[in-house]
Amino acid sequence: MGISTWFEERAGFSGVTKFMTQKKVPLHKHSVWYYTGSAILLFFTIQVITGFLLVFYYKPTLEKANESVAHIMTEVPLGWIIRSVHSWAASFMIALVFIHMLSIWITKSYRRPRELTWMSGVGLLLISLFFGFTGYLLPWDALSFSATKVGTDIPHAVPVVGIWVTKLLRGGEDVTGDTLTRFFGIHVCILPIFLFILLAVHVYLVQKQGMSLPLELEKKNQEVKEIPFWPNFIYREMIVWLLLVAILFTVAIFFPPSLDQPADLMAPAPEGIKPEWYFLFLFQMLKIFPSKILFLSGETVAVLLIILAGVLFFFLPLIDNKPEGNRGKVITAAAFIFIAFAVIMTIWSLL
Amino acid sequence: MRLIKFPGLSAVGILVFFFLSVCQPSICARQVVREETGAAQTEHEPEQIVPGPRDIKEKTAIYVFVGWVWLSVFVLIFFLKLKIRETDRLYQLKFFNSKRK
Repeated sequence: MGISTWFEERAGFSGVTKFMTQKKVPLHKHSVWYYTGSAILLFFTIQVITGFLLVFYYKPTLEKANESVAHIMTEVPLGWIIRSVHSWAASFMIALVFIHMLSIWITKSYRRPRELTWMSGVGLLLISLFFGFTGYLLPWDALSFSATKVGTDIPHAVPVVGIWVTKLLRGGEDVTGDTLTRFFGIHVCILPIFLFILLAVHVYLVQKQGMSLPLELEKKNQEVKEIPFWPNFIYREMIVWLLLVAILFTVAIFFPPSLDQPADLMAPAPEGIKPEWYFLFLFQMLKIFPSKILFLSGETVAVLLIILAGVLFFFLPLIDNKPEGNRGKVITAAAFIFIAFAVIMTIWSLL
Repeated sequence: MRLIKFPGLSAVGILVFFFLSVCQPSICARQVVREETGAAQTEHEPEQIVPGPRDIKEKTAIYVFVGWVWLSVFVLIFFLKLKIRETDRLYQLKFFNSKRK
């Protein structure tokens, strides 16, 4: 009995392979966006592998955190490359998550019956951002400490629950060693559990509903060329994966992230505190708000606006339930306005 | 069928080379940039650690590795393109459909 027959009798993988060969991928001018989903999964896998390697050496305590990262970068064989790949893959992954979401927004692929796929995707975006936020503190250097102080202070502006959320995130009144341990736990344990559950739901829904056609093509009611997912589309995806991995390694080797001096709880905040690039547009938006708007503080208004935008984003498929109508056109225009806003704000905060 | 083996071999080649490089301790980069900024800073306290190759030997090894990765990627892409052409042709001919019947 061959190995494949042995496994087939016990696990019955032929159902999966049959499904993959029967699944069809449409080929059209927007097909390029189909590659972003698997590319995100690729970077997530790289994150898991490099994360496992880093956790062997990392010590999440006030005294040892910065020292252990310095040890990884200077003593552990290839440690600096592993850390650099982990850091860059996070950026690549979040960039691709944004591109993936925006492409779905613009092509209106979230329309009926894919509303739940979109909502699970928004959940995955939030988890990815929270991964980035918690991971940023872990080197425990002056910059990440101060940025986390600013970041965890933002929920404070939310009425009623704000103070409680800030305390929950920090594990106390201020950012201390407790915050570090808490962030480490969230980063390596809690978030991965939620991410795996949501990812499983998301992938299941994508497989159940199949690949979505862009609205403009569906309206034309033309026959679209299709190819099987396996092996025709997978081979195409492999080209994208190879290129992305090569780019990741090149960038990680030539532009590794540095490590600042250990955070000092009593020291004043250093100049030029900045969060990771994907939070810069929100950071800048908070900065430009006036200190007082009517009877509310500017920060409270800004945070409430961000929450409102997040809620609208989550329920976008339900709001845009008639995508071919005028409302649909306004919502598509909103996607381009959002891109322009995010780019301008990010550039502004870098100046 | 011969074409199927080539991407596999190239992929194995990349993995072997990568693991050999990982196991090679000489690529472990060590470069500690010490910037003395004032009296408060002690002599042993590094202000910022900038990772990178330690010496010219490591630098060369890294350049060779990156070059090898890109070369392998282009070779693999070449074979994958051939595979895509082949599988698309077979799909258009409905080769697998008739086989199943």
